[in-house]
Amino acid sequence: MMASTDPDVIQTRGLSKRYRRVTALSEATISVAEGRVSALIGPNGAGKTTLLRVLAGLARPSGGEVTVLGGTPRQDPAFLARIGFLAQEIPLYRRCTAEDHIGIGAHLNSGWDGTSVRRRLESLGIPLDRAVGTLSGGQRAQLALALTLAKRPQLLLLDEPVAALDPLARRQFLAHLAEAVAGGGLTVVLSSHLLADLERVCDHLILLAASRVQLCGDIETLLAEHQVLVGPRKDTTAIERDHTLVHAVRTARQTTLLIRRSGPVADPAFETADVGLEELVLGYMGQLAGPAPAHLTAIGEDQ
Amino acid sequence: MTWLVWRQHRNQAYVAAAALAAFAVLLLVTGRQMASQYRSALSSCAVSHTCGNLANTLSLGTPVLSLLVTLTVVVPCLLGVFWGGPLVARELETGTSQFAWMQSITRSRWLTVKAGWALLAAAAWGGAVSALVTWWSSPVNALNHQNFQPSQFDIQGIVPAGYAVFAVALGIAAGTLLRRTLPALAITIVVFTFLRLVIGQDVRQHYMTALTRTYKFLHHPVLPTGSYWRVSAGLVGPGGQIPGGQSHVAGLTLSMNGLPVSVSSLPSACRVLAFQGPVKFFACLTAHGYHGLFLTYQPASRYWAFQGIETGIFVLLAAALIAVTAIVITRRDA
Repeated sequence: MMASTDPDVIQTRGLSKRYRRVTALSEATISVAEGRVSALIGPNGAGKTTLLRVLAGLARPSGGEVTVLGGTPRQDPAFLARIGFLAQEIPLYRRCTAEDHIGIGAHLNSGWDGTSVRRRLESLGIPLDRAVGTLSGGQRAQLALALTLAKRPQLLLLDEPVAALDPLARRQFLAHLAEAVAGGGLTVVLSSHLLADLERVCDHLILLAASRVQLCGDIETLLAEHQVLVGPRKDTTAIERDHTLVHAVRTARQTTLLIRRSGPVADPAFETADVGLEELVLGYMGQLAGPAPAHLTAIGEDQ
Repeated sequence: MTWLVWRQHRNQAYVAAAALAAFAVLLLVTGRQMASQYRSALSSCAVSHTCGNLANTLSLGTPVLSLLVTLTVVVPCLLGVFWGGPLVARELETGTSQFAWMQSITRSRWLTVKAGWALLAAAAWGGAVSALVTWWSSPVNALNHQNFQPSQFDIQGIVPAGYAVFAVALGIAAGTLLRRTLPALAITIVVFTFLRLVIGQDVRQHYMTALTRTYKFLHHPVLPTGSYWRVSAGLVGPGGQIPGGQSHVAGLTLSMNGLPVSVSSLPSACRVLAFQGPVKFFACLTAHGYHGLFLTYQPASRYWAFQGIETGIFVLLAAALIAVTAIVITRRDA
C-alpha cells in the first residue's frame, strides 16, 4: 500500500454545484493524494464532468470548499500552468495543424515542452502538418493528451478521453498516460465508463452516483475493506448491525451480501470472498455483478 | 496570445485587405478623374461667369459609382457580422475556448488581446474606407454641399470608424451572451441598424441646439452658407411652426422660395390657389394667420463637432459592451 503521508493535491469538502434547477453535484467530499491515478467512475449524469470542471476552475462551485494544489482553482497563470485539463469533446482548432498547436502552446505557456509532443506524434505516425480536423478521433485524442502533458502539469484532469476511441487507440492512449505517470510528479484524475481500462492504470477510486460521492479512496484499501458473503437464506440482522451492508441479493436458497467490514465476519454460515473492482463499483451502483445468475431478483439498497 | 489571434484570423485579414485594396484602387482612379473634371468645370465657368449655377449643370461621377460609395454605409455592419459575431461565439461553440483557457493565460487576457485586435482592425478598416470615400467625395462636397446630410455624414469623416468599432463590439458581446454564432449575427444586424437609425434620425439633431431663421413671404430667403444640415423647414402658421417635407410629411410637398412646405398642412381655401401664382397664394396664407417660412438647421461649422460627438457616443457604447463581455467571460462557467 502506498504511503498515506503523501500530501493531498485535491481536497473538497461539501462541494456542490447547482445549475438553475438541476443539482449536478451535492455535498462532495473527496481527497486525492499526490502521485495517485484516480478513476472517476459513475453513470451518465452522475456529476463527473462537473466535478472535473470545478477542479480545473472552469466552473465555480455553488457551495462548499475546494482546494487544488494548495489553493482555490482560479484564473491565474501560475495556477493554470500546473493544471492539465482535457475536455470530453477534445477541443482543438480544427483548421490548425498539430505544429500550429505546438506553437500556440509555446506562446501561451512558460516551461512548454514542444519537443515531447513532436516525439510522441512521430512515434505514433501522426502527421504534424495536417489540419487537425482531418485526423482521426484517436489521433486527435493523442495530440490533445500530448499537448496537455507538454505544459508539464502537476495535476492532470481527463474527462472520458477514451470514450470515443476504438480498442487499439484506447490502449495506445492509456499507454501514453501510463508513461507520463511513470515519469513521476504527476497526479491524475481520469473519468470513464470503461472499468477494465481504468483497472489497469488507476490506484485510486472516486465513485459518483446521483450527484453524490459514494466512495473515495485507494483501490487497494477499498477492496480490502469490502467483502462478499455468500450463505443460505437466513436473517442477516446481526451482520448488518456489525458491518455496513452495501448491497444484497436474496433468492429462495441463497443470500449474497456486499459489505464494508468493521472487523472479521463471525457468522460461520457465510463463506467470505474477496471483492473485485467491478463487483465493488457495481455493488455501489445498485447492481450486484459476478457469478450470480441473471434471473435472480436484485434487491438494491436505496443510495 | 497575439500570435494565436494572427494564426486564427490571418485568412480573414488577407481577404479584408484584398477587398480594401481593390476598393482603394477603384476610388483613387475615379476620384482623380472626378477631381480634374471639377477643376476644369470651375475654370471654364469662371470664364463665362456661370459658377453660381454650377451645382445644377455639372454632374460628377457615374450613378453606379455613387451607389457603390453610398453602399459603404454597410461596411461597419459587415465588420460586426464577420469579425465581431464569431470572435467569441465560434470558440464557445466548438469548445476551443476551453483549450485556450486551460493554457497558462487568464480569460481576461485572452479576451483583451482578441477583442483588442478585432476593435483595432475595425477602426483601421472602417477608417480607411471612410478616408477613401471622404477624399473621393471632396469635389462633390464642394459642389453640392451635401456632406452634412445624413446619407453623406454617415459615410464620411471619422464616424464610420466609430460605427465599425461599435459593430464589432456588439458582435463580440452578442456572441458571448448567446454562445452561438448565427443568432449573434442576427442580433448584431438588428441592434446595429436600429441604433444607427434612432441616433441618426432622432438624436443627432440635438447634439447642439439648432439655429432657426424665419423669412417673410415673397422675400427671397438668405439661406445659410456652405454644407449646413437642414433639420426642419416649413411654414410659420397661426399655431407656430409647421414643418413640411424633409422626412416629416410623406406625400405632396410644395417648394416655396426653396423651402419645402407640405400641401396637406395648408388651409383648404389656400390649397386651391397653390398653383395659381405666388401673390394670391401668399395673400391667402397671410389672411389665414400665416407669418412666413422658417428654417431650422445645423450650420456647416459644426460638422466636425457633430462627427466627434457621434463617434464618441458609439465608441463609449462599444466600451460598455466590451466591459459587459469581460464580466461575463470571467464570471460565467466556461
